[in-house]
Amino acid sequence: MIEVRLFATLRENREKIYFLPAQDFHCALDIITYLGIPAEEVTTLLINGFHKKPEDEVKDTDIVALFPPVGGG
Amino acid sequence: MFSRYGRQMILPEIGEEGQKKLLSAKVLIIGCGGLGTPCATYLAQAGIGQLDLVDADTVSFSNLNRQFFFTQKDIGAYKAEIAEKKLVQMNGALCVHGHVKHIDERTVDVILQNFDVVVDCVDNQETRKIVHRASLKLGIPLVEGGIDGFYGFISCIKKGYPCLNCMDFFAGREKEKTPVLGAVAGIIGSMQALEAIKIILGMDNALFGQILYYDAKRQEMESVSIPENETCPLHGLHKE
Repeated sequence: MIEVRLFATLRENREKIYFLPAQDFHCALDIITYLGIPAEEVTTLLINGFHKKPEDEVKDTDIVALFPPVGGG
Repeated sequence: MFSRYGRQMILPEIGEEGQKKLLSAKVLIIGCGGLGTPCATYLAQAGIGQLDLVDADTVSFSNLNRQFFFTQKDIGAYKAEIAEKKLVQMNGALCVHGHVKHIDERTVDVILQNFDVVVDCVDNQETRKIVHRASLKLGIPLVEGGIDGFYGFISCIKKGYPCLNCMDFFAGREKEKTPVLGAVAGIIGSMQALEAIKIILGMDNALFGQILYYDAKRQEMESVSIPENETCPLHGLHKE
């Protein structure tokens, strides 16, 4: 399974954490699309704590963290 | 003089020595809005010796759901000037300056220099990035914070630690109008004040290299380590 953690406004109308079957997803963008998140809303993507790109591969036991901009004050 | 701060001086992390550090500290707050108002309040009450606030905006009705320095009679007045008056009323022993100034690439270095800590309370990513770059260049610790509806974040930035730009934090498209709830701004602004106090006291648990997210719907906080990114254009600046 791939563990997916959502932060801030990406949690709106979604769960904060998902466990997804690894065989269904090739890259992080597949997960973003599956969760119905507009790609431009994800500014930061970490896989196992490392900075990655949406097209980077995901595999079983990975932890994927997705972050939107939080810019108000 | 110390009796005013007696309750916080009971803390072993503060005491007389720590209170002297706070009273001799110089802190710059950029933005007198939803974050800057609570942040400045708690820093003034904690006895930060010199507190400067920068904001070029004037008070509007849409500010009044969260920016508690201001009332309806202040509409149209400069926020920095009103904030200065409020803070002087709150603690007349401090040196408080409100500056009606824009922060941009041209002015940022001059505005930031000579401060011990900078607290970024602005409402846009472009200014955050400018302040971020300047604080790293000048070697001044920076406390960042931001809010969006029921969510917020804080992070501390200084040389030697991964910065927010390392995680592409400023890359996203900004909303035309970010939703802001006063109570959430109050929490994040207060946490920014707390991080600034910890930095001044030399406590070793300020959020350097970390970003802490606050989820007000679930009343949860989660801290994430910022990964170092060799391609970050600011990266060279934060190397010791």
